[in-house]
Amino acid sequence: MTKQVPNPNEPKWRSTLNVAMPLNLSYIPIGLACGVLLHAAGFNTILTGLVSIFIFSGGAQFMIASMLTINAPLLSIVLMLFFLELRYALLGSSLSKYLVGTSERFKLIFAVSMNDENYAVNYLKFATDKKWTPREALMVEHYSLLFWTISNIIGSLVGSALKIDLTVVHFALTALFLYMIIMQVKNRLTIFIGLIAAVLAVFFLVLTKSTLGLVISTLISSFIGFALEHYLRNKKPGSHFLYKVRSPASKEAAVEEESDEN
Amino acid sequence: MAAVNHWNTAQHLLLVILGFFVAFAPRYLPIKIFTQRKIPEWFNEWMKFIPVSLFTALVVKDVFVSPTYQFDVVHHIPEIIASVIVGLIAYFTRSMALSVVVGLVSVFLLAVVL
Repeated sequence: MTKQVPNPNEPKWRSTLNVAMPLNLSYIPIGLACGVLLHAAGFNTILTGLVSIFIFSGGAQFMIASMLTINAPLLSIVLMLFFLELRYALLGSSLSKYLVGTSERFKLIFAVSMNDENYAVNYLKFATDKKWTPREALMVEHYSLLFWTISNIIGSLVGSALKIDLTVVHFALTALFLYMIIMQVKNRLTIFIGLIAAVLAVFFLVLTKSTLGLVISTLISSFIGFALEHYLRNKKPGSHFLYKVRSPASKEAAVEEESDEN
Repeated sequence: MAAVNHWNTAQHLLLVILGFFVAFAPRYLPIKIFTQRKIPEWFNEWMKFIPVSLFTALVVKDVFVSPTYQFDVVHHIPEIIASVIVGLIAYFTRSMALSVVVGLVSVFLLAVVL
């Protein structure tokens, strides 16, 4: 679906919908489950719609539901949300170079609906497709927002009549991120950084007992990647670490900057 | 199922409003700041490694860490096997849709079997 040759006559709303579709579809079961849980936590359907639009984060909404069921105080829920959402600062920082030159209003609207999953889709498009524009990226955000919100509302309406195995449906997002990792692999260094990130993530998640561990491990491992690449480029340009990794089905590699076959 | 929480609608609304602001600030501020200033090259070189690091951390959290933040392999065998399958599918097909669908089906079947 993502590999098809772009048709210049295809309207933008359709080409961006195609890009967003795998994400949209994986949001349906998860959104339904989230709506069911929010309903069980006492949220009415309108508020479930509002929380889906204005917070638009699966992790945050699942956390709200579970903290409400244990009657946690408002302040502690908001604080937990803050730590949970802190990682969005990383998403915005790494996308910012593609958003230079957009209007202030656009940046504001873009930021409101950005989350892990549509960031993943958009980052991959920005990195591999030179023609991908901020406006198209915003459309992907809004498609995923639409599917997420409607799924949440339906989940809230059917309530506990629907039995969903949460660990199973949640794996849709895990699979999405796994796909994104594979797409990020350009050389052996990226694989090595992935391994470091994995070890650090476990360590800091267990240490902090919160998703703050995600932020800390991401900052450290990405910095190690940067420092190591800088060192290798300058001191050991022939290092095995910089060998490119090729995929058997890689068509996008041809579009990318790498014209030099090793 | 009776609602276990005793908050009223106004309290829920307040939570949504406060939640919006704490979610919005980290989303917006870096975009605003880093699109206005001239960004040094080293910063962009660093940011290049954010996606692989963050996605790996998110996957590791789902696959190796329990909801109470303990390292846990024993209860995650279906997810671990399914992750390997998804990785192979993604590598060989480069299709996001196929990776997600195969991942869901395999974790579902493995959870039944194991």
